Amino acid sequence: MAFLKRKKAAFEGAGLVLFNEVSDAMQAEKTLKRAGYQVKLVAPPPELRKGCDLAVAINLVEKLGIERILRQSDVAYVEVAPLRIDTSEILEIVRVTDFGDWVMVKAANMKLTFEKKSGVIVNTSGGGCPDIPYLHAELIDKPLGEAPRPGELGFTLCALMLERALEESLALYKGGEMP
Amino acid sequence: MMLIAGTVPIADMPLTLGEVSAEGDFLLVDGRCVPCTQGTGAMVSAALATTDYLKLEAPQVLLAGDTGQGKGSRKLYEYLIRNIAELAPQVLALHYWLPNIVQTRQLCDAIKECARRPVMIADAASMYSAKATGLAGDFDIFTPDATEMAFLADPAATHPAYVQRHLIDTDIKRTPELIKTAYRNGSAARLLLVKGAVDYIVSNGEILATVSEPDVPVMEAIGGTGDTITGLVSALVYAGLEPHEAAIIAARANRMAGKFAQATPATRVRQVIAQFPAVFREYLCQWSGVCYTQGVKYD
Repeated sequence: MAFLKRKKAAFEGAGLVLFNEVSDAMQAEKTLKRAGYQVKLVAPPPELRKGCDLAVAINLVEKLGIERILRQSDVAYVEVAPLRIDTSEILEIVRVTDFGDWVMVKAANMKLTFEKKSGVIVNTSGGGCPDIPYLHAELIDKPLGEAPRPGELGFTLCALMLERALEESLALYKGGEMP
Repeated sequence: MMLIAGTVPIADMPLTLGEVSAEGDFLLVDGRCVPCTQGTGAMVSAALATTDYLKLEAPQVLLAGDTGQGKGSRKLYEYLIRNIAELAPQVLALHYWLPNIVQTRQLCDAIKECARRPVMIADAASMYSAKATGLAGDFDIFTPDATEMAFLADPAATHPAYVQRHLIDTDIKRTPELIKTAYRNGSAARLLLVKGAVDYIVSNGEILATVSEPDVPVMEAIGGTGDTITGLVSALVYAGLEPHEAAIIAARANRMAGKFAQATPATRVRQVIAQFPAVFREYLCQWSGVCYTQGVKYD
C-alpha cells in the first residue's frame, strides 16, 4: 500500500524528462534538486520510454526553467514530455490582431502588444504562472529588440508562450509585414 | 472575511498576511508595498475598490514573492493547508501561483475540514491546478478567458500551452460547445465566468447570461483586465450577491471601466481600476437593484 502511494506521488507533476542513458537521468535528478526543483527518478511508462528505463518526474509547468538548467549543466536529455500520452503537442498557433497603431500577437494563452511605429512593447497579457507579472514589468516600455527574453528570464510554460509571442512580434516588426 | 491568496512579482517578499489598503498606485499589506499591475495586484486592487465603495471590510490578502521559481508559491500552499480552517474565510479567492497538483489536493482536503466551507474562487494558475487535479467541482467559480476555456474542455491538458489545436482554433461562437465539454468532463467549477469578446455566465452547464456591451476590444491587450474581473466577482460575492449576479455585474463593470478609461492597447490596468468607483456610482444600483447612498443601503 505504501509503495503504491509513493508511486502515485511520483507522477503528480504531469511531466517527464526522458533520457537515452541511465547515468544522464541520475545526473539530471541531482542537478535539478540542487537548483531547488522538486523532482523524482521514476520508471517511464512503456509508451514514453525513449532509450533508458529511468526518467525524471517533474512539474510540467516548469519545463522552461528545467530545460535551461539541464542545458547549462550539459546534462543530455531526449525531451520533456507530458505524462499523459493523449496530451497534445505544445501549441504553435500564433494569432495577430491589428489595433490600428498597435499590433497584438497571441501565442496560446499569452499576448504581447507593441506600437507599430516604434516597436515598443506597450502591454503583455494572459497567463497565470508567477513569472508572468514579473515579465510584464520587465518587458513593458522596452523596444522589441532590446527587451529581456522571456525564454531566458522566465521559468514556466506561460513564459515559453510569451517568448513565442515576442519572437513573432520581432519577425513582424523587422520584416515590416505588419497588418 | 474575504481572503485572496496569490504570488506577487517581488522576489524577496516573504509570506505576508494582512488587511490590504491602497496608497497611490500601490497596495499596502503589513507595511509592504505591492504594485497594482497585472496579476494578483490587479485582482486585489479591483476587489478593494469594490469593498471600499460598498463600505465593507477590506480584503485580507495572503501574498508571497515569486518570480517563477515556485518557492513563494509553495509557501502559500503550505500556509493555507495548515491554517485555512482557523482563518475560516467566507470567500477564498486563489490566483497566481506555480500550480502544484499534490498541494492543491491537500488544500482541497484541508478546506473540507472548515466548519463553514468558504465560497471557492479560482483564476489564473490556481484554476489550472484545480482542473489538472480533477477537483474543479470543489470550486464555486472559475473565471477563464477563451483560451483557458479550451484548456478546461481538453481532458488531457494540464496547462493551456498543451491544448488540442482544434479546440484553440474554434470560433468564439463555439464557446458554448467548449463549456458543455468542460462540464461533461468534470473540469468546470459550479459557475463559470468566461471572459472574451462575449462574456458567458454559466451555472452548472447552463448559460444564464451573456455580456457583450460596451464592446472594448482593446481590453484583451491590457495586462490585468482579466484579473480585475476576478477581483470584482470575489468582492461582489462577499457583499452577498448570488454568484451569477456577481459575475454578470463584474463583467459589465469591467467593460464599462475600460470605456470610462478610454482604453487603448497601451493603457495600464491601474487606469482601468481607477474608474471602478465612477462605474459603481453610475450603474451599480441599476444593475444590482441594491443601492447605497453614503454607505446607507436602500432598495
